[in-house]
Amino acid sequence: MSLLSVDNLSIGYETKNGMVKAVDGISFSLEKGRPLGFVGESGCGKTTIGMTLMGLLPDNAKILSGSVRFQTQDLVRLTEDQWRSVRGKDIAMIFQAAMNALNPVYRVDDQVREAILAHRPDISDKELNHRIRELFELVEIPYERIHDYPHEYSGGMKQRVIIAMALACQPQVIIADEPTTALDVIVQDQILEELRAIQSKLNTGLIFISHDIAVVASICEDICVMYGGQIVETGTRKEVFSSPRHPYTKTLLGSYLSLDNEEHIIIPDMRESADLTLASGCCRFQANCTACDAACKSDQPTWIDISPTHKALCCDAGIIRNPHD
Amino acid sequence: MTNYDPDKHPLIEMKGVTKAYNPRKGFFGRKGNKVLALNDIDLNIHKGEIFGLVGQSGSGKTTTGRLLVKLEDPTHGKIRLKGELINDLGGKPLQHFRSKVQMIFQDPYQSLNPHLSIAETISEPLVVHGIGSPESRREKVIQTLETVGLRPGKAFYNHYPHQLSGGQRQRVAVARAIVLDPEFIVADEPTSMLDATIAIQLLRLLSRIRDEFGMTFLFITHNLAAAKYLCDRVAVIHEGHIVEVNTAENIIRNPEHPYTKKLIKVQPGFRF
Amino acid sequence: MLNNHYVQRFVKGWRIFIKNPVGKAGIGILTVFMIMALASFCLPLFGPMYDPMTGIDPNIKISTPPSLTHWLGTDNVGRDIFAQLLEGAKVAFIVGLSSAFFSIVLGTVIGMVSGYAGGWVDAILMRTADIIMVMPSLVILLILASLFGQFNIWLIVFIIAIMRWPAVSRVIRSQTLSLKTRPFIEASRVAGASSVRIIFRHIMPNVLPLAFLYMTFRVTAAILVEAALSFLGFGDPSQVSWGMMLQWVWKSGHMFQAPYWLIPPGISISLLTLAFYMLGRAMDEVLDPRLRKEGQS
Ligand SMILES: Nc1ncnc2c1ncn2[C@@H]1O[C@H](COP(=O)(O)OP(=O)(O)O)[C@@H](O)[C@H]1O
Ligand SMILES: Nc1ncnc2c1ncn2[C@@H]1O[C@H](COP(=O)(O)OP(=O)(O)O)[C@@H](O)[C@H]1O
Ligand SMILES: [Mg+2]
Ligand SMILES: [Mg+2]
Repeated sequence: MSLLSVDNLSIGYETKNGMVKAVDGISFSLEKGRPLGFVGESGCGKTTIGMTLMGLLPDNAKILSGSVRFQTQDLVRLTEDQWRSVRGKDIAMIFQAAMNALNPVYRVDDQVREAILAHRPDISDKELNHRIRELFELVEIPYERIHDYPHEYSGGMKQRVIIAMALACQPQVIIADEPTTALDVIVQDQILEELRAIQSKLNTGLIFISHDIAVVASICEDICVMYGGQIVETGTRKEVFSSPRHPYTKTLLGSYLSLDNEEHIIIPDMRESADLTLASGCCRFQANCTACDAACKSDQPTWIDISPTHKALCCDAGIIRNPHD
Repeated sequence: MTNYDPDKHPLIEMKGVTKAYNPRKGFFGRKGNKVLALNDIDLNIHKGEIFGLVGQSGSGKTTTGRLLVKLEDPTHGKIRLKGELINDLGGKPLQHFRSKVQMIFQDPYQSLNPHLSIAETISEPLVVHGIGSPESRREKVIQTLETVGLRPGKAFYNHYPHQLSGGQRQRVAVARAIVLDPEFIVADEPTSMLDATIAIQLLRLLSRIRDEFGMTFLFITHNLAAAKYLCDRVAVIHEGHIVEVNTAENIIRNPEHPYTKKLIKVQPGFRF
Repeated sequence: MLNNHYVQRFVKGWRIFIKNPVGKAGIGILTVFMIMALASFCLPLFGPMYDPMTGIDPNIKISTPPSLTHWLGTDNVGRDIFAQLLEGAKVAFIVGLSSAFFSIVLGTVIGMVSGYAGGWVDAILMRTADIIMVMPSLVILLILASLFGQFNIWLIVFIIAIMRWPAVSRVIRSQTLSLKTRPFIEASRVAGASSVRIIFRHIMPNVLPLAFLYMTFRVTAAILVEAALSFLGFGDPSQVSWGMMLQWVWKSGHMFQAPYWLIPPGISISLLTLAFYMLGRAMDEVLDPRLRKEGQS
């Protein structure tokens, strides 16, 4: 049985210009020990999904449909009181740019202590200190440095503290939202290494969000490619990266500069950003799609299976089934 | 500047350039250590090339760029444009220099004044150098908008930055940089805030501009792959030192310095 | 050409502003006083008797309570109090707005120059500002008044403007300091723009909202200073103002006999300053997005 399963989830934001459907009918499930990655351009709804799983959507957001099953509960129905016992304890999140949000006036170990006490107020002092030591060991911060203030840490070390805080209560699901985006390439490499090591050691559920496909590929077993609030392709990392089927996935991979794929660069012609006000279920990539025809505008795209684990959302089965362009 | 011979002098020449920053004074007036952002740098950039400067953050890339456009002056060392020293330029010669050298900044959300329209932003260099009449400037702005791929130019003319996406804003920044037909442009991580699909289009644009107008670029990046894609030659910078200069091909195929090797190793890619 | 961009900004700000109950109340009170000030221009239509300065009711030689001919009664020489109140509203607006305007212009320009230029220019301007800022303005005014006798109303405006720019210039200067290193300013420098151009073209539109905010608070201060001066007898004797009315009540010994004469100018001063203060508070919210309730702008 999967750890967490999301079914047909749609989330809208109330704005001056009407309802913006930031997440449109997505479904996925997270297995223990199989990191799941979400990748897509900025604004495609990745953070919104993370925030939904943490019960932290802003006031103008509305869950339009769907369910999030975790253990025996449906998370979308929790009250704020019920959330408090789940958030940070069973499900923890490493927020985008969180390392800049450490409180500058408290020592880092005190901030981690705070995170533990929030969910285990009756923990003994001895156990608490032991746990703090254990966490800092896990994220490889030398013991001598744990009483420092945040400003005495480098960016990478601050991010490790954030990871330690997320791990504080041994959550079953960790959501990492762009945990390395604000970091330098070399530090990014170290943090990714760290996350991989922790993940294989603790064997928790991990949802990893990034706009950088290569970063997602280096961490996750399963990948969901998102565009305009929809998952457009999902599969194992090998399937998605060696045999992309959805036109957007192809664009994304083709425009990614890495040291090895110079020959395969395709310059995309993405002029418009995704239209989030389209009716539910419409193909949102149509305005930028090179394979789009009239049918795409009227039909609703459907899931087309390529293998039991690999599928893509499109109006045209022919495009998806054909591995070559 | 009339008798400049591109075979005799590089377009840009940095010799023994050092830049020290005085950090904030300590709480009780105690002085902290000086930060040596650049330490004795030599660099030559030839006419018509796209020269890459690669390094991790804090290595001194932006500082190099700022020195070259004279947003700041070096603590020691000499910088020459077309063989002429620019260290102590002032008055008229400085104004002339400003019309020859431009910069594209990293963050497109910060580099455009939110209260100026696109037309006002792009025409500013023309206005301050007293070039053309209002009508001819309008023509030039529209033409430049189309050059950078914002078509039709008229449609963007009266827009404001907040009406544009990040990629479009960066194109406006490129338009502002090329509108004076400068000789040399510093592009400081111009794609680091953009999505991959948008970033590659911008790189493409820079390379097209070089081909079409023969401008020379310093392309600053932390992404070796981007440098390899765009640049003719690349310098690797580490803690204020240039550790290696070579063609983009050679840097990646046969890195010499251990730091370069490390940088290559950590570049994200599809190795699994 | 009326710039569409600024109109849009204004409309957007106005929408947020008008949702705020404090702002709404402020605007409401202000409107009432504005109408009163405008009405003061119509006084001559009702005959010379209603001239606030010289219009003595021939039938009345003493202060009388409200009646049909004199809605708020008359003062001790038979002048209409209501007419004086209207005239006072006009004067309050003129003194308040013009002295606030001049002090804001001065403070904004000095603040921008000081912040952008830095170095010794900054040092000189800010030391000057410090010196003026620590001077007790009312005491200075009183000393000046005792030296030169009573003030002309424009002199008061001028002195308030001179005394009140430093605080504004400090705020504008710190805002300028943070703008100065923003990439769009640097881009403009790279393009060859002069300091004057950068200050007025790039920095000014970004500090202007803040300057306007300070202006509303300055209006409050200016109205109070003028009222205090007039009440203490240093005002312009040829000009009716609320402070002057209070001074007359007091001097003629009607402080406790004629509440109908004492209360209206007193309340008007409080209400008008309160209205400007509320306006400022509400504008503060428009300018500070962190205080906004909406998730995204
Ligand atoms: N509080 C909000 N109010 C209105 N729209 C929002 C809000 N937060 C996000 N959005 C919109 O929802 C979409 C998805 O945002 P987000 O989940 O943050 O994307 P990502 O994390 O993939 O960059 C974007 O178009 C964004 O503009
Ligand atoms: N204005 C400044 N004052 C003090 N130190 C600075 C300033 N600008 C840059 N530095 C320091 O100089 C070094 C190089 O910075 P920078 O050139 O911005 O690096 P990069 O662009 O490669 O990330 C860093 O250590 C940075 O902290
Ligand atoms: Mg996000
Ligand atoms: Mg930099």
